[in-house]
Amino acid sequence: MKVRDVQHAVLPQVTAEERSRQEAVVALRRLLNARVRSGNVAAFEAEARPAFVAAHGRAPQSPDEVQQAFLMSPHYRRWSAANRAAQEMIWVSVGEPIYRDLDRMERATAELIDAPGKLGSLALDPDYDPSPEVAAVDIHLQPGGYAMDRGGHDVVAGALYECGGNVFSFGQGIGRGDSKAGVVIRLLEEAFGGFVPGKLLDIGCSAGAASAAYAAHWPDTEVHAVDLGAAMLRYAHARAESLGVGVHFHQMDASAMGFADESFDLVVSHNLMHEIGEAKRRAMFRESLRLVRPGGIVIHQDVAIRNQPTIVHQVERDWDTHFNGEVHWNTYATADLAADMRAAGFAPESIVEHDLAALQGFANNRWYAISARKPAA
Amino acid sequence: MSGRVEALTALIASARGERKQSLESREAEEVLNVALALTVELAVSNDRIDRLERLVAELRGEPVEELRDIRYEGDVARERSEATDALLTRALRILLDPRAQAAE
Repeated sequence: MKVRDVQHAVLPQVTAEERSRQEAVVALRRLLNARVRSGNVAAFEAEARPAFVAAHGRAPQSPDEVQQAFLMSPHYRRWSAANRAAQEMIWVSVGEPIYRDLDRMERATAELIDAPGKLGSLALDPDYDPSPEVAAVDIHLQPGGYAMDRGGHDVVAGALYECGGNVFSFGQGIGRGDSKAGVVIRLLEEAFGGFVPGKLLDIGCSAGAASAAYAAHWPDTEVHAVDLGAAMLRYAHARAESLGVGVHFHQMDASAMGFADESFDLVVSHNLMHEIGEAKRRAMFRESLRLVRPGGIVIHQDVAIRNQPTIVHQVERDWDTHFNGEVHWNTYATADLAADMRAAGFAPESIVEHDLAALQGFANNRWYAISARKPAA
Repeated sequence: MSGRVEALTALIASARGERKQSLESREAEEVLNVALALTVELAVSNDRIDRLERLVAELRGEPVEELRDIRYEGDVARERSEATDALLTRALRILLDPRAQAAE
């Protein structure tokens, strides 16, 4: 099943002009990434390091000093300013059609959510106050953030996430045929003997693209998905129903989920670890272990920004922490996740870190994952 | 809501947090943002012109390359050249401004 660029009833109906604008932003970001950002490390040596040495009488040492030095490089500053502007233009290019078409999208959502005989379900918790470490931040500058909820049948947060995510990903060179769920399914086939779960949990599902893809790939699997935002989950639920797949969506915190112990055969998360702080990530790992059944598998997948070759590369990659609202980007990039999985109780010998090729896109597009298997009872 | 300005205003108003700048001058960074936004709008217009050229070529029953390669001479050429000069004069007005920089 395609995951990116899928057509369904809750997407905004974009005009030709709006489509052109989104394609122009994709092209701008592709150029900035391929032709300008690619020169940042060289600019560090040519501009940033000499400027720092001239100012301080020694080379930069710590990540903070490397960051200070980068900001002394005209090349880096120009790229950073342009990249921030391009990121904001993503949201303008997708946000205009969303707010313009919102009345129709909300009506479509109502019809799908309230339809008799629908395939999945939606359980919102009015008493849940979305975790501020995620909800209070406009992560990757998404206006209003992941947990913005305007009430009623609001779906803005979910629509922004899916539409903005596509423009972002295509600008990164990620192919339309790539899929994080597809990468995990391939990993299960290659490393876990083609494991097929009877019951699956997707933690931090956002707009539900991966959850729906799993439900489509394994029609006999009962798929559950958790996120913190009501409007995000409304969108994800309506999206899945529109695509004809059943997913059960729940508004819960990843660090304390309301399912019974050992409820799932497979527990996954996609791009969640870099959106939450250390304490919540560790609690999420403990919950993963609690919720997976004996013999079941846990796979947490995320962006491949870990294990940079030098501190200069690491700080260059950390631009998102400082300029893109990705406040936990560096925490994730530098964490000892295997140690955290061990501390959560996973058997050390079962923990494996994976460097995974994308299904489609530029040859160097990779995904990171860490997996573990709970010993059979 | 259905208006484009209304939609854009709602989106812009929903952004939170501080905006960290990269360039030394806030004014320069804001001008860069305007220039990049206009570049995107130019791409949108080019896309529209390209679509029209292809449709007109199809209606005329000729390859679009032939339509694009139509050359003009005489008065039409002069009119087109003058339009280009005027556009550049408008765009580069600040470089032609005779006034001296005012003291702080």
